[in-house]
Amino acid sequence: MIRGAALAALGGVTIGVALLLLDRSSDSPPVTRPSLVAAVPADDPLAPAPAPGLSIPAPRLLANGEAVSVWAPLRASAVVRAAPSSNASALGTLPARTPEGTTNIALVTGKGVDRQALWVPVRAAGLTGWISRAALGGYQTVDTLLEVDTRAFTATLHRAGRVVFSAPVGVGTVDAPTPTGDFFVRNVLTRYSSAAYGPIAFGTSARSETLTDWPAGGFVGIHGTDRPDLLPGRVSHGCIRLRNIDILALARLMPVGTPVTIT
Amino acid sequence: MRWAGSGPARKGFTVATEHSTASRSGFLRLGLAGAGTLSLGAVLASGAPRAEAASPSPALDVQVLNYALLLEELQVAFYAAALDRGKLRGELRDFARVVVEHEREHVGLLRGALGAKARKVPRFSFGAAVSNPRRFAATALELEDLGVAAYNGQAANLTRGALIAAARIVSVDARHAAWIRAIENRPPSPQATDPAKTRRKVLAEVDRTGFVR
Amino acid sequence: MDTHLEQFDRDGALRETEAALPAETRRDLLLGALAGGTALALFASEPASSATKGDVAILNYALVLEYLQSSFYTEAERRKALRTATAKQTARVLGSVERAHVAALEQALGSAAVKRPFFDFRGTTENEDAFIRTGVAFEDLGAAAYKGQAYRIQSKALLQAAISIHSVEARHAAWIRYLAGTTPASSAFDEPKTMAQVNRLVASTGFIVRRPTTRSRRRPRFTG
Repeated sequence: MIRGAALAALGGVTIGVALLLLDRSSDSPPVTRPSLVAAVPADDPLAPAPAPGLSIPAPRLLANGEAVSVWAPLRASAVVRAAPSSNASALGTLPARTPEGTTNIALVTGKGVDRQALWVPVRAAGLTGWISRAALGGYQTVDTLLEVDTRAFTATLHRAGRVVFSAPVGVGTVDAPTPTGDFFVRNVLTRYSSAAYGPIAFGTSARSETLTDWPAGGFVGIHGTDRPDLLPGRVSHGCIRLRNIDILALARLMPVGTPVTIT
Repeated sequence: MRWAGSGPARKGFTVATEHSTASRSGFLRLGLAGAGTLSLGAVLASGAPRAEAASPSPALDVQVLNYALLLEELQVAFYAAALDRGKLRGELRDFARVVVEHEREHVGLLRGALGAKARKVPRFSFGAAVSNPRRFAATALELEDLGVAAYNGQAANLTRGALIAAARIVSVDARHAAWIRAIENRPPSPQATDPAKTRRKVLAEVDRTGFVR
Repeated sequence: MDTHLEQFDRDGALRETEAALPAETRRDLLLGALAGGTALALFASEPASSATKGDVAILNYALVLEYLQSSFYTEAERRKALRTATAKQTARVLGSVERAHVAALEQALGSAAVKRPFFDFRGTTENEDAFIRTGVAFEDLGAAAYKGQAYRIQSKALLQAAISIHSVEARHAAWIRYLAGTTPASSAFDEPKTMAQVNRLVASTGFIVRRPTTRSRRRPRFTG
């Protein structure tokens, strides 16, 4: 026992000496090296920094394949062309304003092409093609998508890929059917006086194929109703009708620019 | 103390260093727009108004600035030695040439502000750290990051005038740090917010380098 | 080479735009963006916390600049028009950091936070050169703006947060400058900018625009 302890002690001393020697043999002389820390008083008058008053989260990269749509307002009326060039054939002209007096908007459907000038592909009411970037205002993104099923009579809103709203709807009759295809919400009308349209009416880029001489162009709305007893069913001239309680709920969830897919 | 900008032709940025609480509250054109009842989260509640908390003072400024001076002198000596002996070429040499001049100007500003209150700075020797470009780059990266953390660690200890001066320096050190990190292919800004280190922590790191004689 | 906000525009349209706008309107663009959000704060019912009105104004000012930066990088990444790996990486990484700054400021300000302004980056997110030049200008501006406010902040905790974001903005500036092939640190001292100076520069870009009118009280004439 005692011998073991003595050996251990001896071993300790030996290691100590060895360390000392090692230290000596290194090229910097640690014994004489001044310590800056040693000169700092125990109660450093330079107080530690306070805890920051903002809690900054860890940076997060954008998810790959995030489901967002881009839209932009029109700065002025603009020609939509078949290709990204001012020489390409004109498909039509987009007005700067909607029939409802709001700023007209277009969905931006893909990457721009930058040659002499920047052109971007758009989908707007009745027109799909290329438009000069200069004709558009700032890009906005939405992560919502409305699906309307004219056979099941349902409207379903998705946000970031998840269903956040669903309700029964009324759609166009056989004589004035709701057009099918890919459209988008381009404005919101509120506080008007017309019970037939309920408390809120969304304007879309969809247009009736049968009611072409309708006063304001025959655009399809998504709105409330004063005849909830008729829903669901084929009851309208093409518009998508919801119960007032449903349209109010939808109004809280669905921003302008939301794509609308009608099947 | 007066904070005249030393360095290239900076006029009119002279700020008295009296700790004035009165002048802190009267302010801001936009501030008027933001007036009204506030509903800030609890995070803000932790921050007591500066006037009530610890006490920045011209005397404390002298201590902070002498500490900053030590770090700036260390950097000047380091870059000068590396330019002398580090066999630097290309990007690294350009970096060292620009940065050593900036650090000299930082020293000049601090010495100008401290005047006779500037403390003696120890001698440094850098040994292998300036013997080749790789060692140089690694050390420069550490020293610049350390400098940023050191200044950020003192912001709340400074009077208004000294804080303005320190802020003019620290962002340039942050630029140096990002620059050498970019050259070294390391993330120039590894976090969304830079750390703040105490004097004790910073000086312990300097001690560990063995650069102080 | 030094980059100024005025040099953003590829074809000089920004300067024309600025010249076309009366000075009042230009200032209103930014002030209006700020006032829109603070109106909410005026009616918030919660009691004042220990943060001063001045600190809140500074945080909201910082928030507008962080909105500007984060929206810019985020849009650039989403538009997928940047070609080089370094430009893509810049948009991706700086976007993530600036979004984190936005989240922190929004959380701290709660209902006193200004609304995100409506931005029109006018193609600068879809052109490599314009993107880099604008990024350099934004980060230099961000560092100068935080520097111009840090010493005005009453709360030590908020000062600490601001000063530690401030040096990150400077790192970003140096990084993009490095990528752009311009000097990351052009002078020994970075100078602060006042709110007025920053507001003027931001307004001169024309990047903050009026929100388009997409709501109306007109009676619908849809197909019904």
